Amino acid sequence: MTVVDTAPSPSSSAAPAGDTLPAHLLRRATATPQRTALRKKHLGRWRSYTWQEYAERAAAIGMGLRALGVEPGDRVAIHSNNRPAWLLADMGIQGIGAISVGVYPTSPAAEVEYLLAHSESVVLIAEDEEQADKALAVREKIPSVRKVVVKDPRGLDMSDPWLMTLDELEELGAGQLDEWARSVAALEPDECAIIVYTSGTTGPPKGAMLSHANLMAAARSSAQVYDTDERDEVLSYLPLCHIAERIISVINAIHLGTVVNFGESTETFAQDLAEVQPTFFVGVPRVWEKLLALIQIKMSDAGWIKRKNYDLWMRVGGRIARRRWKGKKLTGLDGLLYFLGWVMLYRSLRTKLGLSRVRGAVSGAAPIAPQVLEFFWAMGIPIREVYGQTENTAQGTLVPADDVRIGMVGVPLPGAEIRIAEDGEILTRGPGTFLGYFKNPEATAETIDEEGWLHSGDIGELDADGFLRITDRKKDIIITAGGKNISPSEIETKLKVSPFVPEAIVIGDQRKYLTALIGIELDTVGDWATRRRIAFTTYADLSSKPEVRELIGEVVESVNKELAQVETIKRFEMLPKELDQEDGEVTATQKVKRRAIEKEFAELIEGMYR
Amino acid sequence: MGIVTPDADLAERADAPGPAGGELLRVRDLTLRFGGVTALAEVSFDVRHGELFAIIGPNGAGKTSIFNVLSAVYRPQHGSVLLDGTELVGQKPHRTAQLGIGRTFQNLGLFVHLDVVDNLLLGRHHLMKSGFLAGAVWWGRAKPEELRHREAVEEIIDFLELTPYRKSPAGLLPYGVQKRIELGRALAMEPKLLLLDEPVAGMNLEETEDMARYILEIRRRLGISMILVEHDMHLVMDIADRVMALDFGQPLAIGAPAEVQSDPRVVEAYLGGSE
Repeated sequence: MTVVDTAPSPSSSAAPAGDTLPAHLLRRATATPQRTALRKKHLGRWRSYTWQEYAERAAAIGMGLRALGVEPGDRVAIHSNNRPAWLLADMGIQGIGAISVGVYPTSPAAEVEYLLAHSESVVLIAEDEEQADKALAVREKIPSVRKVVVKDPRGLDMSDPWLMTLDELEELGAGQLDEWARSVAALEPDECAIIVYTSGTTGPPKGAMLSHANLMAAARSSAQVYDTDERDEVLSYLPLCHIAERIISVINAIHLGTVVNFGESTETFAQDLAEVQPTFFVGVPRVWEKLLALIQIKMSDAGWIKRKNYDLWMRVGGRIARRRWKGKKLTGLDGLLYFLGWVMLYRSLRTKLGLSRVRGAVSGAAPIAPQVLEFFWAMGIPIREVYGQTENTAQGTLVPADDVRIGMVGVPLPGAEIRIAEDGEILTRGPGTFLGYFKNPEATAETIDEEGWLHSGDIGELDADGFLRITDRKKDIIITAGGKNISPSEIETKLKVSPFVPEAIVIGDQRKYLTALIGIELDTVGDWATRRRIAFTTYADLSSKPEVRELIGEVVESVNKELAQVETIKRFEMLPKELDQEDGEVTATQKVKRRAIEKEFAELIEGMYR
Repeated sequence: MGIVTPDADLAERADAPGPAGGELLRVRDLTLRFGGVTALAEVSFDVRHGELFAIIGPNGAGKTSIFNVLSAVYRPQHGSVLLDGTELVGQKPHRTAQLGIGRTFQNLGLFVHLDVVDNLLLGRHHLMKSGFLAGAVWWGRAKPEELRHREAVEEIIDFLELTPYRKSPAGLLPYGVQKRIELGRALAMEPKLLLLDEPVAGMNLEETEDMARYILEIRRRLGISMILVEHDMHLVMDIADRVMALDFGQPLAIGAPAEVQSDPRVVEAYLGGSE
C-alpha cells in the first residue's frame, strides 16, 4: 500500500471577498477590468468580453434570478452549448449562493425531465428553441421549474408567461454589482456550488455535489502543475457540464486569467481550432484520434516527396519524444534536428490542425493509445494523461512532463492522496473529494468510506515510484468461462488505434472466448472505400460491405498478435449503426453503455458463440 | 437588417400591406403560348401572406412556366400578376427581384468558384447602392454598406446552418449543401415571395427532411410566402398549406392538400396515371 501525500498549499488569502470562483472573478474585474476574458465567434466575427463585462453580466443574471425568488441553496439548471452565457449564468448562480446544474446539450427530453425533476431546479436557463422545446415537452412533469430563461428566443412563442429572455433577466438584475458582491463575500466555501450529473453507464444519472472549496482545490492544483497564465488561450468545446471542461473554461480561466474562446458550433470545430490556435488544449482520446486520422487521410493523398518527408520527420520526432519521456536532456543535435523538423514538417502540420501554439496538452476521460500519444509528442505536442473523476473534482493523477511511462497515468496531483484497496480498487482522498450525491445518501456512503477515501470503481496498481496504472472499471472486468480475468478496455484501446475503428466493444464475460462488436469511422473507411471504387450509401451499407469486413478483420488480426492467447478476439461482428446517445447506447460523453449494447445487439452477439 | 429576427422589418413587412393572411400575390387569367403550344391556359390563383403554396403536376404541366412568368423571364400573352398591388407582367427580370420575388433554380444557379459568403452577397446585389468606383476603393458609404450586407448574409448562414462551409467554393460542396446555398442566395434577396423550384430533387431522405425543416422555418420565423414546385408528393402533402394541381397548363384543383389529393380529376390526371 503506497500513500502519496503532498501538503496542501496555503490558500491565497489575498482574495478580498472570500475564496470562491465568483470572488476571484470580482478580483479580476477590479484588477484588470479591460483585459479580454472571453471571445465568441458570432456571425463570422470574433467578439470579446472583458473581465468587467463578465463580472457585471454575471452579477446581473445572479440578481435577476434573486428577483425571480431564487434563494441560496436553490438549484438553477443550464441547458446550452458552450458559449459565454453559460459562464455568465454559472457565475451569477454561484454568486447568490444558488447551485448551478449543467445539462448536456445533447440530452433528449426524457433525460432533461429526469435531471430537472431530480434536482428540483427552480429556474432553467435554456440556450434556444431546441433546448426550450425539450422542457416544454415535459412541462407538466417538472413542476419545480418556475421560469425558463431563453438566451436566443427565435422561433419561440414568448407570450407564454413560463418563458422569458436572458436579456429580460439581466435587465431585472442590472446595476446591482455591489449587492451581488456582498452576496459573494458571504458565500461559505464548504457549501455546494454546483451539481454535476454523472451520466453513468448503468442506472440513472447521479448528481455529484461539489463545493466552492472543491472547485478552488482544482484551481490551485492546476496552478501548480500547468504553467499557464493570462497570455494563454483555450478553446472551449467539450461539454461544459463535464468536470474536465469546467476546470479549463471556468475554474482555471478565472483563477489564472486564461482567455476562453468559443467557436461557432460543434460542426465548425476544426475551423474554430485553426482560427484560435490555442496555447493549451484538452482532448479526450476520441478527439486526439480524430485529429490523427485527419492527418493520415491527408498524407495518403499527398505525393511521394511529401510522404517521405512526413515519414522521416515523424520518425525523428518520435525518437526525440521517447528520449524526453525518459527525462533525458536533449543534446544539441536533438535540438537542431527538432528545429529542422519544425521547419520541414511540424509547423505546417500543427498549424493545419490548429495546434501550432500549444504548449500544454492533456488527455483524459479514457485511456489513450501509446501510438496516438507518440504521434503528437513527435511533433512537439506534449500530451499528458490525467486521471480523475467528477467525485474528486478530477483531482487524481497527472503524468509528469519529463517522466512519461506508457500505460501509466502518472503521479497524484498536488493535494491528492492515492491508495489501492485490498481488492485492487483505486481510492483517492483530498480537498477535491465531493460532498456526496444529491438526495442519495446510500450511494454517497458506498462511495466515501469513514476515513474519507473515495472509491473510484476503477481497478489499478501503484508502482514503487507512486505511478498509477489503471486496469479497468471494476464492473467491466471480464471473467471468461475459463476463469481468466481480462480487461476489455485494454483490448478495445488497442483496436481503436486504427483510424478505421472509433468504437469497439469486447465481449466474453462467462463465455468460452472473446468476441467484439466493431464500429467503423465513416470518414476514413468512406475515404478508403472511395479509393477502391466501392460504392456505398449509408453507414449501414458501408459497414456491411465484405471488403470493409475484410479490412476490419486485418485490424483485429494485427491486434491479436499483440495479445496473449486467451485475450485474442476469436470472432467479431460489425455494428450495424453508429452508436447514439438518443438511442441510449452511449452516454453524453460518448462512453459506451455495455449493458444496453449487449441487450440491443444480443442476437448478433449470440451468433458469434454459435 | 435582421432577416432572421421575427420582430424585425421582415415580419412587419409581411403583415404591413393588407391584413395578415390577406393575399400577397394575385394571378388572374394567365395564358402563355409558345407558337402553337399552350403552356398556361387561364390560370388564376392567389398566394396569401405567410402561405406555403404548392404547385403540382406532371412534367410539362406548366409549373416552371409560372415561375418564369412571375420572375418576368416569360411575358404572357394574356393575364395579370399583382404582387402587393404592383403589376409584374411587362417588368424587366431584375425589377422583379427589387419588387420582392426571390427564386431558387432546379439545376442550381450558383457561382461554383465563389465561396458561400460571396454567393449569398451576390443575392443582395440589387440592394446595394454604392457605385462601382466607391466599391472598388471601399470608400464613402461602400464600407458601412458592405458591413451591413455581410451581417445580413451571416444571419442567413447561421439560419441555414452553413457555418462549416462559409469559406469553401460552392462547387466543391455536396449537392445537398449546394441546394441549401441556393436557398440562402434567394433568402439573401429579402424576398416577399420565394419561388422554390424542386428544392429536394435528387436528394436522399435525410437531406429532404432537412430541407423540409428549413422551408418550414422560413415560413414560421421569417413569415415569407412561398410557392413550391415539387415532384416529391410526400413533401408537398406534408408541408404545404394549399396546393394547386396543373395538367397541360390548366388548373385542375386548388385547395388543402388532402382535398386536392382526393380530387378525382387530379387522381386521374396525375396521381392515378402513374401509380
